[in-house]
Amino acid sequence: MAWYHRFSDLFRRGTLDREIDDELITHIAERTDELVEQGMSEREARDCARKQFGNYTRRKEETREIHLLNWIETVRQDVRYAFRTLGSNPAFAATAILSLALGIGANTAIFSIINAVMLRSLPVENPAKLVQINSKEAGSELTNPIWEYLRDHQHALSGVLAYSPDRFDLSDGSESRFGQGMWVSGNFFNVLGVPALQGRVFSAQEDRRGAAPVAVISYGFWKRNFANDLSVVGKTVRLNRHEFEIVGVTPPWFTGLDVDHGYDVAIPITCEPILNTDRSKLDNRSAWWLRILGRLSPGENLQQAQNRFKALAPVMFQETVDPRLPAQMQKEFVKSTLSLQPATTGFSDIRTQYKTALFTLMAITGLVLLVACANIANLLLARATARGREFSVRMAMGASRLRVIRQLMTESILLSISGAGTGLLLALWMSRLLIRLISTTGNPLDIGLSLNFSLLGFTMLAAIVTALLFGLAPALSTTRGGLNHALKENARGALQGFSRFNLGMTLVAGQIALSLILLVGAGLFVGTLRNLLTIDPGFSRRSILLVNAQFKQPSIGKDQRIQKYNQMLERIRAIPGVISAARSMRTPITNFGMNGLTFPEGYQAKSRMDTLAWLNLISPEYFNTMATRLVMGRDFAKTDDVKTSRVMIIGESTARHFFGTSNPVGKTIGMDTRGDKRVHYEIVGVVEDTKYQQINEGQRLTAFLPVDQDPEPDSAVNFEIRRAVPLNALLHPVQSAISSVNRDVSLEFQDFETQVNESLLQPRVVALLSSAFGLLALLLAGIGLYGLTAYGVSRRKNEIGIRIALGARRGAVIRLILGDVAMLLALGVSAGVGASLVMGRLIANLLYGIRPNDPMEIGVAVLILTACTVFAAYIPARRAAGLDPMGALREE
Amino acid sequence: MKKQKNDILQGTLTLLVLRMLQAQGALHGYALTSHIQRASAELLRVEEGSLYPALHRMEQDGLVKAEWGVTERGRKARLYSLTAAGKEQLAEEMQNWDRLTEGVARVLRYA
Repeated sequence: MAWYHRFSDLFRRGTLDREIDDELITHIAERTDELVEQGMSEREARDCARKQFGNYTRRKEETREIHLLNWIETVRQDVRYAFRTLGSNPAFAATAILSLALGIGANTAIFSIINAVMLRSLPVENPAKLVQINSKEAGSELTNPIWEYLRDHQHALSGVLAYSPDRFDLSDGSESRFGQGMWVSGNFFNVLGVPALQGRVFSAQEDRRGAAPVAVISYGFWKRNFANDLSVVGKTVRLNRHEFEIVGVTPPWFTGLDVDHGYDVAIPITCEPILNTDRSKLDNRSAWWLRILGRLSPGENLQQAQNRFKALAPVMFQETVDPRLPAQMQKEFVKSTLSLQPATTGFSDIRTQYKTALFTLMAITGLVLLVACANIANLLLARATARGREFSVRMAMGASRLRVIRQLMTESILLSISGAGTGLLLALWMSRLLIRLISTTGNPLDIGLSLNFSLLGFTMLAAIVTALLFGLAPALSTTRGGLNHALKENARGALQGFSRFNLGMTLVAGQIALSLILLVGAGLFVGTLRNLLTIDPGFSRRSILLVNAQFKQPSIGKDQRIQKYNQMLERIRAIPGVISAARSMRTPITNFGMNGLTFPEGYQAKSRMDTLAWLNLISPEYFNTMATRLVMGRDFAKTDDVKTSRVMIIGESTARHFFGTSNPVGKTIGMDTRGDKRVHYEIVGVVEDTKYQQINEGQRLTAFLPVDQDPEPDSAVNFEIRRAVPLNALLHPVQSAISSVNRDVSLEFQDFETQVNESLLQPRVVALLSSAFGLLALLLAGIGLYGLTAYGVSRRKNEIGIRIALGARRGAVIRLILGDVAMLLALGVSAGVGASLVMGRLIANLLYGIRPNDPMEIGVAVLILTACTVFAAYIPARRAAGLDPMGALREE
Repeated sequence: MKKQKNDILQGTLTLLVLRMLQAQGALHGYALTSHIQRASAELLRVEEGSLYPALHRMEQDGLVKAEWGVTERGRKARLYSLTAAGKEQLAEEMQNWDRLTEGVARVLRYA
């Protein structure tokens, strides 16, 4: 019986059981028949036969045990033998295990991140039943009036909750220290099934307006900041410099609904006015900030619940429409619809931002693993051929082909399991490294990456698949042809080209093709990064310090803000080492943005979005500080304030878009404020185009307004400071300059270059990793080719010796060897180029300023690959050419 | 379990089975039992069930090979036959047996 039958017997005891039963029952039946023929009655005969047979059950058990014991014994033998053969060639074993560990480790690392941010269910009760309430028109973040309406009127779901992730400043003042926070509805914890570990969680009483400032903290926060103090309930935590009383602690397993990071503090949505005295979002019908989730009722599916929500939508949107919106928009708003989406895996920015990148990296590491497998297969093949005599002898002594294949596969599995085990350890480290790499100061990541079952399962699967990939083909190929063939193989003297090593050649050609794909990919990603780094974003990234100042509301009254902020700006400008300084509502290259529909003088909008402009409010000197070139007209001046007429500066593209070639300076652009009132701005200047939210965005329409004309100044302000001294030297002076005007402030410092670079993290990481993996694949392919050539040369020693003895020159011998390699290379490169062209399309949206079939990039990759492979093959070829013909022939 | 008088010694069973298969070709378990009993003129009696663990062990050791066939009465049965290794083993065990019986006989005779 073949080994795999026996293996399956262990799991399907049924077959073996039935077979043994069949055999034993036949025996008893035959005996009964014979006894009946001798004249016994049927009944007597059966009893007698049974008796003679002895203890049926015990014999059957014994018979079955023999199969099991034998299986265990042969496995033990195979494993021991495999250990011995691998141990006898530790260099081979180490190479194989190391390359597998790298390959499997890289795959497992990427998988563990994909698993954590995309596949794993939330740590809440029955997460499969969680759904999110979305509106196709309004988005996935809804207003508080909508939430209150849904809370009080929906019956389709068994419970609904609202929450919004936020950052809270935990410091007492001066420099900000942020924690992860959540605004939550009263029933948030109850609907999720999260009990309190200490104290209580929130309840419906927290949904009442004007509720006391209370907070529930996470286990992690409790441990870090209160050292698991059992009397924490009743103590306070400071959020944006307001005191909140801690009422409860959640269990360690609950880390919030955002998988990118845990949460520290949760506070009721109804406490929002405490932190935002200026403009509370609670009754704002245009503040889209709450995620609304619900739990499907038992026995109801998504579709049924969704249908009920559809019916609810018209009345709800009618009730919650913002009356300050222009009439047309109100009409569109009430036609909005609601839909439900599964929310089992929670929320993750990494998921949305890095989805394509992660899958691409998974594919890249998969290809690297394939290259590594091909390498090991090649090594195994060479080894198996060298061990041909051993196998011939074993097969001559009666071992079946399957027995020998099993032996070889045991070695392969032993290798792959060792590789996978090491790889798993590497993966735990690499995934953390990768997360640290994509973590930023603004968005610190804390993703649960500890060992779990799906990770173990993935690694096991990788081990088995790789063992089959690299082990099976060599095992089949070396045992093919059986005994005679194997013995004849060892006959010497015959002329042997590469012809015999078809499998080896295919493997190396495949490696070359795979490496080329990886090199082309790496080239494209590096090219993308280079484009992003060298592009002119319309500002300088160097030597600019950004300062975000948050003032406790309402420590400066709205009417005093402009004056106070300008006073701070003047004091900053006076600091030695400050070249110039400005202030603005936002800084470039952040997620935060503001846009508005514009009505340029004499321009007919082609569509509604055709006149959508992205806005910033800035002070005079802003362009000077950011090194943005003024193309036409003038910069804002101190005189552009609330008392004078409204002015605007626009980007070059905007000017061209609206006014073509005519001079835009002096023309006006209208914009609607709340309440449908149109304000006209006079264009006083044009600046070069600047990037708004991302370096790799297409050119947007941009417009700048004077911050001094802002009718509703915010309680936070950004300063941009161009510096001539090191950044650290400015921190203290800037802080005293600002707090000398208003003491109650917390500051966040950021180097502008860091802010820009962090926005390029994803392309940077992809470029870095794809290059590293590309080089690894190239190295492996080089080793593979070197091995194959060296092996070919050693087998052709005789032939080469004769050729040299007959007068072949060095060059001719080298050409002879390289000729074979050139064929392999041509084969591999053409396959690789073909595959690159196909696969390039899949990564097109990760690229910037470069086409996936860029002939230049492909050419460079082919060149690098050719140089490396020729080098790898040249070493053994040169050695062959230097053979002493007499020595080579005498060896026979 | 009570020992029967003429229980075949464990090692001897292998020898007998191998010999029987050499003489008769492929046989199923029941036929093997009957043949051994008949050939020994009913002197040797195998506890019939114990034959099967032995047969399966011999199969695993590669001394015999088995395939499904039918008995003379038309029942499905596994038919055992000798392998090359089984033949070698038989020759060796027959020699051993001869030496053993000769030795035992000498002791009994001259002690």
